[in-house]
Amino acid sequence: MRKSAMNRSCWTLVPATALVALPAAYAAQYLSVEQAQQQLFPAGAAFEPLKLTLTAAQQQRADSAGKVMSSFEPRVWRVRAVDKLIGHFFVHEVIGKQDFITYAVAIDGDGKVKGVEILAYRESHGYEIRNPRWRAQFVGKGTHDAIKLDMDIANISGATLSCRHVTDGVRRILALYDAALKGQP
Amino acid sequence: MNKTAIVIALGALFVVSPLYASEADLMQRLDKLASELENVKSELKKLKEEKEARAKEPQAPVAMTASTSAAPASTSSQSSITPMRTAITNQTTLFGYGEMNYNRPRKDTSQTQADLRRAVLGVGHRFDEKTELGMELEFEHAVTSASDKGEVEVEQLWIDHHLSDKLTLRAGLFLVPVGLINERHEPTTFYGVERNFVETAIIPTTWREGGVMLRGNTDDQALTWNVGVSTGFDLTKWNANSSDGRESPLRSIHQELQLAKAHDLSVLGAINYRGIPGLTVGGFIFTGKAAHRMPAFAAPDARVSLWDLHARWTPGAWDLSALYAKGTISNTQALNLTFVGSPTLVPKEFWGWYAEAAYKMWNQGDYSLAPFIRYERFNTAAKFADLGAGLTPEAAATEGVATVGANFKLNANVVFKADYQKFKVDTGRDRFNLGLGYMF
Repeated sequence: MRKSAMNRSCWTLVPATALVALPAAYAAQYLSVEQAQQQLFPAGAAFEPLKLTLTAAQQQRADSAGKVMSSFEPRVWRVRAVDKLIGHFFVHEVIGKQDFITYAVAIDGDGKVKGVEILAYRESHGYEIRNPRWRAQFVGKGTHDAIKLDMDIANISGATLSCRHVTDGVRRILALYDAALKGQP
Repeated sequence: MNKTAIVIALGALFVVSPLYASEADLMQRLDKLASELENVKSELKKLKEEKEARAKEPQAPVAMTASTSAAPASTSSQSSITPMRTAITNQTTLFGYGEMNYNRPRKDTSQTQADLRRAVLGVGHRFDEKTELGMELEFEHAVTSASDKGEVEVEQLWIDHHLSDKLTLRAGLFLVPVGLINERHEPTTFYGVERNFVETAIIPTTWREGGVMLRGNTDDQALTWNVGVSTGFDLTKWNANSSDGRESPLRSIHQELQLAKAHDLSVLGAINYRGIPGLTVGGFIFTGKAAHRMPAFAAPDARVSLWDLHARWTPGAWDLSALYAKGTISNTQALNLTFVGSPTLVPKEFWGWYAEAAYKMWNQGDYSLAPFIRYERFNTAAKFADLGAGLTPEAAATEGVATVGANFKLNANVVFKADYQKFKVDTGRDRFNLGLGYMF
């Protein structure tokens, strides 16, 4: 079964030019990557795609923060405004119940979550994770926060699996940021 | 550079060459073509070499550090990029859930029973981006045959078609969007070994009907609503000599799309607000006639209606919920007169409510332990149609059940449960329960 593909392997960030274009008609797509970038960072910010591999120790840190079901590796962009690093932008996907949820996470220069956007959602249940107030719970969270469902992130009844998996995904992205990107020029 | 294009271009050159050209002319042209061909060849070779060189570049850059890609993409070049998979079509997924329960009455322990309550296999299939199918096959009580008590049933079989971001059409056999557990009834999603009484005796969980239903939501997903037209109940099935109708009036006359009488269709509507993280507040209403023009049936205008109000709030480690449901079966006077003397007449009203509090008191890794307490009151025959003095049955006593127990989860999808249930009226039913449940 497809959902058993557990993303534990070493992840590599690939150049943006190698990525697959999306078909024009996509019923459950709400935002393109560019639209999400514009929503999460100020106008004029420049997005530079990064490639990244992790050492075993870095990998272990990410895994201990949270394992997620995913079919592709998180992608990351370094974000600059007037030559100053203002944050990082991630795009990743996690399984909801049966289908993948594509989401974006913006992390600011201080390593805190700036925002989470849902790019695509494909299932019949659990759409409610698009609710802005649910996603706003992540804003300001850093690696020292728990970022766990039913702890510091409230659940949406009826969308539990989607909520849990996105929450786990955000926690893992923060751990990856902390292990590999924090403090980089 | 495209080889086919070169060949076509060269061919075209020959074709358009004037046929009357002199031999010297032709030789000159051939020389020219030969030199052009050489140019094209070297051009191709160069391209090939460049391509090979690119392929040899290391895909994985320096370990331990982040680095920009070999060919940095400008912001403008990203506008055409979408890092998602291509459209998912013709994709089939398998899912399932199940539960095994052990019930031991406090008094009459000879009634102690262990049962594989249900094993459900589900299939989801996506035809294209807008259309998908959902199906659940349920096996109850482990073994099904002519001489066994098990059942095999298609619990759901529907097609969803997304009309827009905000509107989905569902057609087929679907779960009715009522209460808190009818649509989400996997054992890992509710507290206690058995489903609560209000959502089994008053709301006949797992309640499903055949029909069409529209599901809509606001832009921010805070508000969702459903409206539908569906099959309903069949009051001609009422058995006044069975206790089934007293245990759950609607369960005893549901149809489950099994050769369902469908002359009278029912309508349903639901609305749920989930705009504040952790909070769900909603309601549901259903009504439809239930006689289906059956000849000589004594309640030709009988109507079944049910509504509920529910709320669930999950602040931090707490999980608090409450629900009220009320059902009515109208125009049953003449029918009940034919049942006088039998133990179970058709009730005019039945209702129930519960309040539940659970607290995740411990968790380590994926393990978690959540004790809970639930109190419910319900009456499956709170009122009967007036048959005149001496004939109208007495209303049933309102039952009260307190349940105390805990859910212990190995992970989000596997749960062990234990609880004790104390009955206020029918004290012989006091019991201890154990359960194992899973979903995937």
